[in-house]
Amino acid sequence: MLKVEELSRRYDSLLALDRVSLEVRPGEILGLLGANGAGKSTLLRTAAGLQPPDAGRIEVAGADVWREPIEAKRRLGYAPEEPTFYEEISAAEYLAFLAAIRGLEPAAAAARAHELFRSLGLVDRVDEPVHRFSHGMRKKLSFAAALLHHPPVLLCDEAIEGFDAAAALAAKQVLRERAADGCAVLFSSHVTETIERLCDRVVILHRGRVARTLARADWGGRDSGLSPLEQEFLGILAAAAPPAPA
Amino acid sequence: MFPRTPAAAAFRSLERVLVRRRLLGVDLRLRLELLALAGLLGGFLFWQARIPLDGLLRMRGEGAVAAAVLATLLAMAALGGLIAGSRHAVRLRRGPPGPPWLALPLPPELLGRHLAFDSSAPALALVVPAAGVLLGAAGLAPAWWLAGCALAFAVSLAAAVGLGCAIAFRTAAAAVPSRPALHPLTRVLATAARRARSARLPAPRWRGGPVWLTLWRKDLLLSWRPTPARQRALPPIVLAPLAALVWWLPLEIPVARLLAFALALLAAATFAEWLIALAGCDPFAVLRTLPVGVGAVWGARMASAAAGVALLLAGQAAGARALDPQPHALFLVWTGAATLAIATLGANYGVTTYPHHDQAQRLLGLSLGVAMAASIMIPLLGWVLLLTAVLHSLRRLPRWTALEAS
Repeated sequence: MLKVEELSRRYDSLLALDRVSLEVRPGEILGLLGANGAGKSTLLRTAAGLQPPDAGRIEVAGADVWREPIEAKRRLGYAPEEPTFYEEISAAEYLAFLAAIRGLEPAAAAARAHELFRSLGLVDRVDEPVHRFSHGMRKKLSFAAALLHHPPVLLCDEAIEGFDAAAALAAKQVLRERAADGCAVLFSSHVTETIERLCDRVVILHRGRVARTLARADWGGRDSGLSPLEQEFLGILAAAAPPAPA
Repeated sequence: MFPRTPAAAAFRSLERVLVRRRLLGVDLRLRLELLALAGLLGGFLFWQARIPLDGLLRMRGEGAVAAAVLATLLAMAALGGLIAGSRHAVRLRRGPPGPPWLALPLPPELLGRHLAFDSSAPALALVVPAAGVLLGAAGLAPAWWLAGCALAFAVSLAAAVGLGCAIAFRTAAAAVPSRPALHPLTRVLATAARRARSARLPAPRWRGGPVWLTLWRKDLLLSWRPTPARQRALPPIVLAPLAALVWWLPLEIPVARLLAFALALLAAATFAEWLIALAGCDPFAVLRTLPVGVGAVWGARMASAAAGVALLLAGQAAGARALDPQPHALFLVWTGAATLAIATLGANYGVTTYPHHDQAQRLLGLSLGVAMAASIMIPLLGWVLLLTAVLHSLRRLPRWTALEAS
């Protein structure tokens, strides 16, 4: 579904990616681990079509990102580490714009956006201009934007770091559901615990190269349960939540 | 007057710095454009005032001229008060700019005076039409009478601005819940902060349509909201009607034609700057990761360019009716071709230099400057250079897909 072949990218004298190859299969969540500067964001930015590679190719659901960019980007969702937006429009206006660009059916897109806003805890702020949003809210909006069109390939660059606990859990659940529907997810994070719980395989990048690939069996089975702290926190949130409207 | 406390001195210093920074913060080209606009407006009012005042002199003498000038200037001062008061009312309602004022240990009276000062700045623009009227009366009434009128204008403008802001403040204070322990300004600002936090934008319309149309609608939305594109939209909105109004001035037709053409070109140049500013509003990481091709982006900008040129030409077509049919048609074709070429150049540079819109603005200024200089030196050479620049930039459009943000 997502194929990266012999990808290289250089910034002046720094070789950020050195012949990186990997593949994310349909229904798989592939974790990308690495220290700062290992090349994770460069790999994801190049795969998202933000910067051309010096060598190699990237294929998204059969479309080459740099030869057939429009086709590839139709099939791609990208949640960047530092999201940017049209600051003076509201979160809802932003998703309405993206939905129109992507040619989504308006009513279905509005319903999907509402569902995403609700699950990420943004539903009360959707009509505020984005420049009023906190860092965590901006990341939630970016995550919702990446998922709006049910992309078959999803690139998440530290996408859920900065989320509150409830939204992080909801986001992980959404990712699992997307994967269950056949979406290929490339998920980069600094937090090994998140990767451990969420991912099926992990690629470790080191100085722009694939240092190692680990399968789930290498670190134990998937643990989708909650830690005692998470259980406590969610219990408090549930107790404080207003009753759902009839 | 306020006592010379450290806070009062700090505010005076802040106000000086704000005025200086705001003036310097306006881009040099925009400053020149605003100066040109002020000159044009002053000139327009000079002509509009001169002829009736001259008639008044012949019929009723110098005293009547001075009285008419004084009445006009007092009306302008009253308008200044209305402008300042309205702006102050809006700011008190939405929350004034600056730090969280209520968190600072400030006497409310001093803060109120500063906020009123900050709201009053646009009223100073009335100095331009007032100067136009005063110059229009030059030589028609004794100079010292006109100097007295100018002094009366300055005093009455200051008084009207103060009165306008005071009324705005009283109205705002009356509209918020009464709390005897709190100063009215504290109540007004606290309510404004609450309003600002809960302010909502209208719910979006979820609709489909071609990609270029969605981008075009987004461009219009961004020009409506407080973005750099909105600032850039103002000069062409003012210049295009001015270019049409020239035809109603008591000028010889060749002079009117030249002036209308020059103003139309200036309007087109500022319009091209707006198109580039729109490109600067597009976040690179958003637009580049969407399934959007250069055709849609360029199409959206060219739709704006075509609409703007059509409106400009409609104004010229209405204004230039004094021309015979053939020269009228020729003038419209000539003006339409030049303004469309300039707008296209702006649209093209915005696309081909994306996301470096500052480079695009410089490139546009350079291209138009060279074309103008060439046109003055050798007739029609400016056209050749302008069309060459348009063709060259068109050829570079496909580069859009490979541009990087670095």
